[in-house]
Amino acid sequence: MSTEVTRPDEQADQIGKLIARARSLNVQLGQRLHAIEKRLPRWWRRALTAAVIVGGTVLPLFFSQTSGFLAATLIALAYVVMALGLNVVVGFAGLLDLGYVAFYAIGAYCMAWFGSDFFFKEHIHVLVSGIAAQEIGIHLNFVLILIAAAIICSAMGMLIGLPTLRLRGDYIAIVTLAFGEIITVLAVNGTSIGLGGGQTLTNGAQGISALDEPYFPGLGSFNLLKLRPYYWLIYVIVLLVLFVNLRLRDSRLGRAWIALREDEVAAVSMGIPLVRTKLKAYSIGAAFGGISGVFLGAYYTDVNSDYFQFTFSIFVLAMIIVGGLGSIWGAVVGALLLSYINYYLIPDVINSIPHDFGLNFNLTTLSYGIFGFLLVLVMVLRPQGLVPERRRRLELTGAIAADDSQLVEGQE
Amino acid sequence: MAAVAERPLALLRRYLGRWGLWVALAALPIYFGIHDLTHGYQAGFAHGHEVIRHDLSNLGFNLVEGLSNGAIWALIAIGYTLVYGIIELINFAHGDVFMIGSLTATGLWGTLGLGLATGPVGLIAGLLLTLIVCMAVCGSLNVLIERVGYRPLRNAPKLAPLITAVGFSFILQNVGLLWIGGNPIGVNDLIRENDTVFHISGVIVHRADVLALAVMIPLVIALTWFLNNTRPGKAMRATAQDPEAARLMGINVNSTISLTFMIGGMLAGAAGLVYALYETNVWYFQGFEAGLIAFTAAVMGGIGNVRGAVLGGLLIGCIQEMSDSRLGPQWTEAVVFGYLILVMVLRPRGLLGEETREAG
Amino acid sequence: MLVGALVALAGCGSSSNTTSSTTSTTSSSGKTVDIYSSLPLTGASTAQTIPLVDGIKLALSQAKDKAGPFTVNYTSLNDATAAAGEWDPTQTGADARKAAADPKSVYYIGEFNSGASEISIPILNDAGIPQVSPANTYVGLTTDLPGSAPGEPGKYYPTGKRTYLRIVPIDSIQAAADLIAMKQAGCTRVAVANDKEAYGAGLAKLLELEKGYYGVDIVSNTGIDPKAPNFRSYAATIKGEGADCFEFSGIVSNGGVQITKDVNAALPKAKIFGPDGMCTSTWTDAKDGGVPASIDPLIECTVATQNLSAYPGGKAFLAAYKAKYGVANPDPYAIYGYESMELGLNTIASLGANGDNKADILKALFAIKDRHSVLGTYGFDANGDTTLKSYGLYKVSGGLPVFLKTITPTKTVS
Repeated sequence: MSTEVTRPDEQADQIGKLIARARSLNVQLGQRLHAIEKRLPRWWRRALTAAVIVGGTVLPLFFSQTSGFLAATLIALAYVVMALGLNVVVGFAGLLDLGYVAFYAIGAYCMAWFGSDFFFKEHIHVLVSGIAAQEIGIHLNFVLILIAAAIICSAMGMLIGLPTLRLRGDYIAIVTLAFGEIITVLAVNGTSIGLGGGQTLTNGAQGISALDEPYFPGLGSFNLLKLRPYYWLIYVIVLLVLFVNLRLRDSRLGRAWIALREDEVAAVSMGIPLVRTKLKAYSIGAAFGGISGVFLGAYYTDVNSDYFQFTFSIFVLAMIIVGGLGSIWGAVVGALLLSYINYYLIPDVINSIPHDFGLNFNLTTLSYGIFGFLLVLVMVLRPQGLVPERRRRLELTGAIAADDSQLVEGQE
Repeated sequence: MAAVAERPLALLRRYLGRWGLWVALAALPIYFGIHDLTHGYQAGFAHGHEVIRHDLSNLGFNLVEGLSNGAIWALIAIGYTLVYGIIELINFAHGDVFMIGSLTATGLWGTLGLGLATGPVGLIAGLLLTLIVCMAVCGSLNVLIERVGYRPLRNAPKLAPLITAVGFSFILQNVGLLWIGGNPIGVNDLIRENDTVFHISGVIVHRADVLALAVMIPLVIALTWFLNNTRPGKAMRATAQDPEAARLMGINVNSTISLTFMIGGMLAGAAGLVYALYETNVWYFQGFEAGLIAFTAAVMGGIGNVRGAVLGGLLIGCIQEMSDSRLGPQWTEAVVFGYLILVMVLRPRGLLGEETREAG
Repeated sequence: MLVGALVALAGCGSSSNTTSSTTSTTSSSGKTVDIYSSLPLTGASTAQTIPLVDGIKLALSQAKDKAGPFTVNYTSLNDATAAAGEWDPTQTGADARKAAADPKSVYYIGEFNSGASEISIPILNDAGIPQVSPANTYVGLTTDLPGSAPGEPGKYYPTGKRTYLRIVPIDSIQAAADLIAMKQAGCTRVAVANDKEAYGAGLAKLLELEKGYYGVDIVSNTGIDPKAPNFRSYAATIKGEGADCFEFSGIVSNGGVQITKDVNAALPKAKIFGPDGMCTSTWTDAKDGGVPASIDPLIECTVATQNLSAYPGGKAFLAAYKAKYGVANPDPYAIYGYESMELGLNTIASLGANGDNKADILKALFAIKDRHSVLGTYGFDANGDTTLKSYGLYKVSGGLPVFLKTITPTKTVS
């Protein structure tokens, strides 16, 4: 199902034949699914969405409070928020951002600064309980920290986006990468950056630990041995972020982003404010990253500069590309898939396989390679991603006879 | 068109755009040079107090080290820039091809029996053989990666091959991990790299420095000659400018792209050998770090532009050395990236301008 | 649709997972207890953690998988992931929770990195599981001595009771031991470099805090970037500072070998020191990727293990290790691993029928006063720290660290 016209200089060699075979199988599968889809009633999408939402809500009840699967799932959901954020920047607005780890870092440090005893000279407590209410330091309520992180990250997003406005395509990548690295260097060397009176900016690679557990007045404080509340917290955050994303995509701003992405010159001449639109993409994407960072900081109860590496930015980028660039559900699927593979499939399931066969071989040494291999496999077989954006799917599958109803986004 | 009198601000911006960048780049070395001459720097400790010297040899030492370190980055950066120029892809796996080159080199030393006791003739012969093997291995590896990971995605969304590149990067890192383990490994100092070759007014030039530059300069000259004077070289440049037109002219685009990858890989292999001799240390993760720096160098010099990549590499080497010794090694990465942002803001096309299809 | 399928798939995965990792056969008549270890088994630390696990397994096999009337089920967990290449907070938390979820778990050997323990200690504290670390030396985990951060150690123990012990003396002692070694070696100006992690930076800070007690002048303490390809500029800087000795406070995988070589190139006569994170063959043996043999005579390092042949238990350990793994000179971490498992097995056995009660095990552990072991004779104090206050000073012979003498510092920070 590719639009490749065979050119005379492309001799089909062995590898090419193999890939073409695999892809045709993939296409056949797609056609079968499409055929099935045609036979389903028209409300099947809404029913599925409702089922997924309900299923997601009751999921934790099927697992114990300390289940490893539940832990992997809530991490995956945090990554869903990250992926949705990066999808706004890279997918909607077409700005290749390779420094997304910066917003994870800022979000996590917001949690560390405002929810622990790190600022040991202060005694600020706002809507907290338990140990947090008596400890030194700044202790704000979890929701307040979320809001603070969103605001700070939005501002930082705009700051980072400013120098990239005049750059084209892949240069944006390198500049955002540079900013991402600078922020991580600041995180690591934060122990040397003094804020006066013995207070440093971060605790570098030694980490700021024992962060406050989230507390909701009336619902009580979270506990590290009870994962269900953490799950429901991130689940609610995911639903909110999804809602915001869906509204954004179908809004004027969303369409402006897509217009800029497809053809900047045409979009500008149609009157779309270039600078403002791009900056909004950066800041909204950054805000989502910050929110997820706050949650992850609270869940790990520790913020260590080792967590913030360039590899993270690549990981999130891979999620949205594997899932389908520009597509909201693609970002969700990609994030869930890659998180599960990295945090659950490879450590727990694959590593126990040799043991099951009675071998003493340690598969952990192959984890990198397996993960890389899966990435290559998915991209080569399905370059448009698992759940491609409607527009892209039409482009790539050469569906010339697409009618306008298919382009209306509400159908997705 | 009649010349319009320019307002002072626009005039300032024009001069800033043209000269501001070079001023910014030269600012640090000049500042440190003046600082060394006036305040002096601590060169040792004797009889209970510090020994302060007032000369430029410390700065000279920084620059020599910077140029030789930078030569390695330049070799890797050329690979990035050639590939980007021809298919507009950031080949994230390139740095790891370089790492495989280093591991191949050190592995081959063991097989050939090259050790600290080998005589000079045997050493030179052995190292030349290693160079050829590394270049061959890395060139073929790069071609293989292109065939399997990038060619099928030629018509895919632009970011898809980026992810296959990342996937290959992980796979190659795993190969390195299985090969030598997770720790950086010290390797034999075959050429006794710290021996002095000559002095220039107090600045010592070590064998390692000479090696890096002695390998880089001929290779770059050979490459430039190749690109300008041979048919395949011109085919590469033509394809980089406009693949469709090149195809219409009868150029086999696929083979030309494969050739580009092979040349890039060969240079990475050479860089790998030089790195192993220079640092006397190999690590499965070295490619990732080096790749980041080399890519930055390629962009800084102007993506697609071979001379730009070399200039970028040398420049970053010098920035790193000066930052290491004056500001502290913990800030070096931030300084390098700060410089990159500066260059990108003042000259968005890179220092020597880019040479990709959109520019040409 | 895909999402639902994924969820179902993963759900299947989880149920098979909990049984697959604990597949030791349990005898139908005896009762079992579960012991877990959580160590970074992926990435750079494997050079030390694999011998550690070997030591654990040796202890277990010598006891024939039994502790008193109970059969021991041992599971080795990995707190590192491929993507991180080192310990990962998700995995660390997941490992701790796995142990917490298991009603039969009674003992947890972990972590290897002090930073990782900051995550697992509160979880295991909540669950009341005894935790013994074979390697953490950062002071803030158990005490509030200078060198710890405000709020430590209390913030790691939400229940208020201690559940964490360690068999290696903390860094305030190790720093003092290093300073004594430097003084005895005749060092006047020492340059210290650290790898900026909890262990390395913490130890470096303590070196600075305690230098006055031993009259050693530390001219600089620099945090280096472990990923840098070389450290020539740093070496040139400390040469300018007139350093005559150098200590790298950190672990080998963070550039230890390279920085040693570069410092030696700039200062060929400087003596080189390292703490227990450095004192392994991957640093000292050129065949193992360490420094060239010409540097070996300049190296001294400290490890918490003493001369094994001086103890009856030690000789037996050496023989058994050689028989099982064919290695005559085991990595110090193998010894730590062996003792961490031995401690657990002996304590459980001493409780007889109550050996599967976590609270009893904790009480018994904290009550230990004079335990004879391969690390020497020791007990635990109320903080969970070992009463051993000695470090062994090692020199390098034949590429491997060999015991030179015991150093027992008398003055440390308080």
